Amino acid sequence: MSGRVGASHPFALSARDLRRRRLNRMMRLVIAATTALAILPLVGITVLIVSNGVGRLTPEFLFNGPLGSPPGIVNAIQGSLAMTFVATLISAPIGIAGGVYLNEYASPRVTALGEYLIDVMLGVPSILAGLFAYLAIVPLLGFSGWSATIALSVLMIPVVMRTTQEVMRLVPAGLREASLALGVSSWKTSVFIVGRTAFSGILTGVVLAISRGLGETAPLLMTALGSNDEAINLGAPMSAMPIVIYNNAGSSDPQMVAEAWTTALVLFAIALVLNVAVRFKTVNSRIA
Amino acid sequence: MSAKSRTEKPAKGSATALSLKSLSAYYGSFRAVKDVSLEVAAQSVTALIGPSGCGKSTLIRTINRMHETTTGARVEGTIEIEGVDIYDPQIDPVRVRRSIGMVFQKPNPFPTMSIAQNVVSGLRLAGQTNKAALAAIVEDSLRKAALWDEVKDKLNQPGTSLSGGQQQRLCIARAIAVKPEIILMDEPCSALDPIATLKIEELIRTLREEYTIVIVTHNMQQASRVSDTTAFMTMGEDRAGYLVESGPTPKMFTAPEQRLTEDYVAGRFG
Repeated sequence: MSGRVGASHPFALSARDLRRRRLNRMMRLVIAATTALAILPLVGITVLIVSNGVGRLTPEFLFNGPLGSPPGIVNAIQGSLAMTFVATLISAPIGIAGGVYLNEYASPRVTALGEYLIDVMLGVPSILAGLFAYLAIVPLLGFSGWSATIALSVLMIPVVMRTTQEVMRLVPAGLREASLALGVSSWKTSVFIVGRTAFSGILTGVVLAISRGLGETAPLLMTALGSNDEAINLGAPMSAMPIVIYNNAGSSDPQMVAEAWTTALVLFAIALVLNVAVRFKTVNSRIA
Repeated sequence: MSAKSRTEKPAKGSATALSLKSLSAYYGSFRAVKDVSLEVAAQSVTALIGPSGCGKSTLIRTINRMHETTTGARVEGTIEIEGVDIYDPQIDPVRVRRSIGMVFQKPNPFPTMSIAQNVVSGLRLAGQTNKAALAAIVEDSLRKAALWDEVKDKLNQPGTSLSGGQQQRLCIARAIAVKPEIILMDEPCSALDPIATLKIEELIRTLREEYTIVIVTHNMQQASRVSDTTAFMTMGEDRAGYLVESGPTPKMFTAPEQRLTEDYVAGRFG
């Protein structure tokens, strides 16, 4: 500070300004600390899973069945991927179509009602989806991959539907108008102009749903049950990574607990790769 | 601007392209445009001028049935093209829009498409797939929109990579590509700088040779520079816009019949 500005100068720092600066610095520290606090668990989980799980991460663990020697989780990986894949095949078309309907065709009242219902669905604890499948689907299809697939779809559809609707709403109205004014029919405008522009966002919604499906435990415990069978058969009880983690983590056998950690690491890695891949794929596309 | 040179051309120049009869446009229960009757000559430029909120944009959007795409919006009265009322229940609005192009206030090229794809987007979405024919239309439309020389080497780049003025000419090319007879322009230069505006105005004067153009503009100088006919709208006590008068542009700006028009073009209100 140059000495030429006297304390009486109108621009000179007053005591009040100094207080304001101090307060500003303090508040910045506070919000930085809360951000750090929010990230801390994520870092903690990552460190814990990697450090506890990496020791047993061998090719045998990934490619052997649970009864092999050494035992592995190939059936759980297959089960998770198969059930999530089929659940995606069910929930992506339904969710996307529903989202398109809500954004493009439904009357404002129906849209509001639909949004409300989806939000309720998104808030439903997954154990309730499991309970639903246990009471309504298992009696028909038995404890099986199919039952689990339906339970997962119940949880995944609202994720896809909500995201689809949200990203389509972000598409500027001018594009829809331009298309309609060119004499493009309303459904083609919805699909090829609005839908195409929102495509990367819709894809993100599908991946979010897949991540959710991969990680769900409760509905699987009540439907797929778990199994030592290595065949990919959705008609029978199936294993899945979350089931292995749940069953093994509580064991008194340290060997089993270690297997749970490594399974968690594999699940974590798959979800991470999926998310990063989509991030890379969509980072360059834009909604103008 | 010689309205004469066109009337010397065979019949077409003096024919009526559009005729609005007692047209009213509503948003829900609010009447935004009241009882407009207006004849638009073929292959001419008709400018709609008037203060903000007087319903110019609403009126122009009734001509290609875009008005009704707003929830709760509806139209009363008729618009005739070659003797057919486009609001007849037997008429498909999608077909109407194919023969009436529209250019909007803000350039709106499709962000997922290249320059070339933007130009033929209307045709491709209507099912035209012949690549050679489409390529020819890309060049022809871009030439007509006076954009070809600037973009011929980068047809595969995104339409959104162009400058604002170029984007607007791309939108004009996109409208031309579906071969409309009428082109509506809703304040096409209001988002552009003066040089880009000048280019669009030059383009409008060229396009008049082939198309019937209706342009909404806030800018009275622009109306006097580009149009053959000027229609002046304002709004009444009930906030509904109505047509005060229309006539040959030079007359409207020098010796209008209505006092309101005179006050408006002299800059005394609006």
